[in-house]
Amino acid sequence: MTLAVTSSAIAAEPLASAVPQAKPVLQLVGVRKVFGEFAAVDGVNVDFKEGEFVSIVGPSGSGKTTLLRMLAGMEGPSEGYITLRGNLINDVPADKRPTCLVFQSLALFPHKTVGENIEFPLKVRKMPPAERKARALELMRMVRLPESYYGKNVMRCSGGEKQRVALARAFAYDPDVLFFDEPLSALDYKLKKALEKELKDLHRVSGKTFVYITHSLEEAMVMSDRVGVMSRGKLVQIGTPEEIYTKPANRFVAEFFGEVNSFEVRRGADGWKAADGKALVVSGLPEGVSDAATVIVRPETMRFVPTGAAVDNAIQGTIYNEYSLGSRMQYQVHAGERIYLVEAPRGGAVSAGDAVTIGWDAADAIVVGD
Amino acid sequence: METRAQIRTRFAIRVWTAFVLLLVYLPILCGALAGLTKGRYFVFPVKVFSGEWWEKTLSSLEIQTLVHNSLLIAVIVTLVSVLFAFFGALAFARYEWKGRKLYQKIILLPIFFPQPVLGLALLLWFNALGINPSWMTAVIAHLVWIVPVVTLVIAIQVYGFDPTLEEAARDLGASRWFILREVTLPILWPGIWSGALFAFLLSWGNFPLSLYTAGVDSTIPKWLYSKMVAGYTPMVPALGTMSTLSAAALLLGGGLIGMLLRRRRAEA
Repeated sequence: MTLAVTSSAIAAEPLASAVPQAKPVLQLVGVRKVFGEFAAVDGVNVDFKEGEFVSIVGPSGSGKTTLLRMLAGMEGPSEGYITLRGNLINDVPADKRPTCLVFQSLALFPHKTVGENIEFPLKVRKMPPAERKARALELMRMVRLPESYYGKNVMRCSGGEKQRVALARAFAYDPDVLFFDEPLSALDYKLKKALEKELKDLHRVSGKTFVYITHSLEEAMVMSDRVGVMSRGKLVQIGTPEEIYTKPANRFVAEFFGEVNSFEVRRGADGWKAADGKALVVSGLPEGVSDAATVIVRPETMRFVPTGAAVDNAIQGTIYNEYSLGSRMQYQVHAGERIYLVEAPRGGAVSAGDAVTIGWDAADAIVVGD
Repeated sequence: METRAQIRTRFAIRVWTAFVLLLVYLPILCGALAGLTKGRYFVFPVKVFSGEWWEKTLSSLEIQTLVHNSLLIAVIVTLVSVLFAFFGALAFARYEWKGRKLYQKIILLPIFFPQPVLGLALLLWFNALGINPSWMTAVIAHLVWIVPVVTLVIAIQVYGFDPTLEEAARDLGASRWFILREVTLPILWPGIWSGALFAFLLSWGNFPLSLYTAGVDSTIPKWLYSKMVAGYTPMVPALGTMSTLSAAALLLGGGLIGMLLRRRRAEA
């Protein structure tokens, strides 16, 4: 009874998704998918909470698409359980699941107009044409498509417009959970950035659960309440964007954000030493790690150290090259055999060829087990 | 601005095209003229022109039966072959299954088999089974040869079909039947349409298979041949011309409908 009250409150309150419900809508327990000898998905456990926006990130071949296809009902798991609101749905086919997948290719019906595409799931349910049209126009307003597009050939729409049609069509099905298989990957950068934000707004307005697959951690960070990182069929870590960024579970997750400076370190009799023998100050060791670890220093925490200033770890080097990142600059610093990356605000006093001291404080570095 | 070389090239292309067309159409034109003579025999040049043989052809009961037979066979062959070839093409190009590679080769084999031999072989089979050859056995003979051709024509369209469209439709709750009606068929329609045209024209103009397997029933090509061998009248070239013209009209009409459909879709 209390549950019914809360869920109707979600529908009325557009910002409800900001407070995800504790009860999982979709649950995976020990899910595996084996093709021949190869385990594409190898024992994934995860709960998707009601109204949550979760992204699953991973390089190609990490099993994220296979995972999504199992969630959508296009593949059955070889092992494990998938439950939706407590009901086992392992063998429930896609057309019988209250879930909907937005394909990477969008899979819009090329012989249908924008309106006919959006109305497709309504036609399946035998809704009368007048009602269908009213609903389609309503959805088109929601995804910001002009009404005049109703009778337009869908293949004559631009990339961004097609995205909106695909979204409206998915919403027309009125699923409990929406899945996205990198639908933005083919768009240019600017449009992608705009649509990412729109998608997050739409998520808030609709209050639905979104599961989004992408290979871009950056994209996932912008939109998601939680981010899961997959590698070789396993879900390596899942947490808020903040947690993933500040406390990566291992080197793979840390490096997934982009280039980092990493140091493999060992604890000797006289403290921590890098592979080249240099003594380093290391702190914040994760649980269970005692003698060997990897210290990760992101380019944005690595900094130029003015002469005489105090820093836990310092390295002498020469600036080899500089790259503009827009508001910030990235510098490539060579020190002996190694190359380091340092990011600093634009307008710094250094330039290529300068001898510099770079360094970081132990508290700013991330230490992972492997 | 066009350079002199470009003008020369364009001129050469036009001359060559005209030459090829002349080479192809001159004999047909001569045949057509032979049907417009006033005389009784196949003689060139035509001395006196007349529509007399066209009139006779149009009013002949025998010819009406021929047209009826040819049309009946062609229509049935078209319907049945499109039905078989549609599903055959899906098996050919859409689905991965064990034995598909072998099927792809075997299905095409009848196309390369010489038709007179195929016709004779079928006739022997019909005899062995105690079936009297008639227009109905001709339908079966035509199907043996035409189904593979139409399968190939439709399969080409199927290769361009994105299977995720069916997956997406399924995901949106559609049943198999609904997907076939709303997604698969409409998208494959141009291929099915050209396949049907092919089937009709190949059956309409087929001689060797009909000769062996139609028994006492005659078709237009069969009659043309028998009259050329013995008992020539200018009704032969007249009927030949009519047959060609109606096939051309069908092709043109079919192409036009296809074009209009495509344009309507593209303009929306």
